[in-house]
Amino acid sequence: MISYDLYNFLKEELKNGSSDLVTRPSGQLIRERIEKDILKEDDGGVIALDFSKIGIIDYSCADEIVAKLMSRLLSNEYGEKYIILTGLNENQQENIEVALERKDLAVIAEKSGGKKFLLGSLNNYLRETLSLIVKSGKITARELADMVKIEANTSGTRLLNLHKKRLVMRRDEIREGARVWIYENL
Amino acid sequence: MPNIITQLSDESFEAFLAHANASDVIDLRQVAFIDPYGMVGILEAGRMFSQKDTMKTLKLPVSDNVLKYLERMDFFKYAARFFQIDAGDDLLDRYSKSSYSDVLLEITPIEKSDDIHFIVGKVKERAHMILAKHLNYDEGAINGFIVALSEVCQNIIEHSGNTGFVGIQKYRFQKLEKNVVKIAVMDLGIGFRKSLGERFDIKDDIEAVDKALFHAVSRHEDEGRGHGLASVRRFVNKWNGKISIRSGSAKLAVVPEWSWGKKRETNLTYFPGAQINIMLPEI
Repeated sequence: MISYDLYNFLKEELKNGSSDLVTRPSGQLIRERIEKDILKEDDGGVIALDFSKIGIIDYSCADEIVAKLMSRLLSNEYGEKYIILTGLNENQQENIEVALERKDLAVIAEKSGGKKFLLGSLNNYLRETLSLIVKSGKITARELADMVKIEANTSGTRLLNLHKKRLVMRRDEIREGARVWIYENL
Repeated sequence: MPNIITQLSDESFEAFLAHANASDVIDLRQVAFIDPYGMVGILEAGRMFSQKDTMKTLKLPVSDNVLKYLERMDFFKYAARFFQIDAGDDLLDRYSKSSYSDVLLEITPIEKSDDIHFIVGKVKERAHMILAKHLNYDEGAINGFIVALSEVCQNIIEHSGNTGFVGIQKYRFQKLEKNVVKIAVMDLGIGFRKSLGERFDIKDDIEAVDKALFHAVSRHEDEGRGHGLASVRRFVNKWNGKISIRSGSAKLAVVPEWSWGKKRETNLTYFPGAQINIMLPEI
């Protein structure tokens, strides 16, 4: 996992001494910096946006940074990368969640103890599937189908949708001579 | 003969405007009470007149308390740009700042994004002293307050096409026997009607303010835009506060049960830009 310290980005890009992510123009500057760096990372990489030294994040900045990044990530503008949020306090979580929900987006966040959770908007089926992956670490469509007693193509669709939303990673593996997709926790 | 002005707040702003428009000398000598809305309103009126190459004279209040308060709020720092001040030469010496102040934010210009970083930083420094101590706000509420302040100030930079001022002060509200914090934010920009009119067919000022405040409407198509003022309204509702927005010739307010005032006013004297007043009570 590659960590981007947003406080350092703020210091380097804004140069006004602020530790707060406020205003849309500031958010745009920080997002553009993140985008520039993300494009240099290898495909398959997980980028952690570290908020631990950030004070306030307002709704405009949450939209400009997190919601727009996720939206563009989902449109494959940065290649096969993944983004998670770390070091969030409760207030930051709340404001980012509002920005994500407005655009029907979601992102994985990590608590200080390493526990991952979902921020934003996701339907119940996908939420349930995601929590099974979080518990087991990785899963195939067949395993999910057996676990929740659904058709294999339905479970495959759910897993694929989670991957399209960049909430789980996907890699292929040869099992018993056939290629299977393995979906893994970020 | 213009009316005598005895107080300056959102409630008396219309009388002040009528007085200011009618005379070259704005007589505030009898003013015994003034809040951030009143102060920022005077400055914005002065700025509006100066944009028309008119510099009016400001006769200052005779009340020592009001003058001290104006000084604490940095009123004179900006007033001299837009008015001829009718007062003794030693005014600023007489009213040097007191070390204790219940000012949460002195009158501060909003001209660029960096100003909002400054405002947020300043309010964060003083938030515990004032919001926690006098309004009993916890961390979550303080965060909500600062985010709401940031959003309401950003409207000026994002939508007005002009600049503005903000000021915040804590008061003891005698009628309620409660502390309240008052935020005033104003600009001389294009106003809600013209801003939203770029995208929607808006018939008047009241409809424009209603759309921005209650329906999260923005001149930008992006779904993430236009939620600033609506989120401010939700914050104010959550903490049982009052918010009013005046723009052009209309004013719309959300009035809690402990407060008073009209919810909708139209056909007011035209004043450019937007004038926002927020009042938050102790919880």
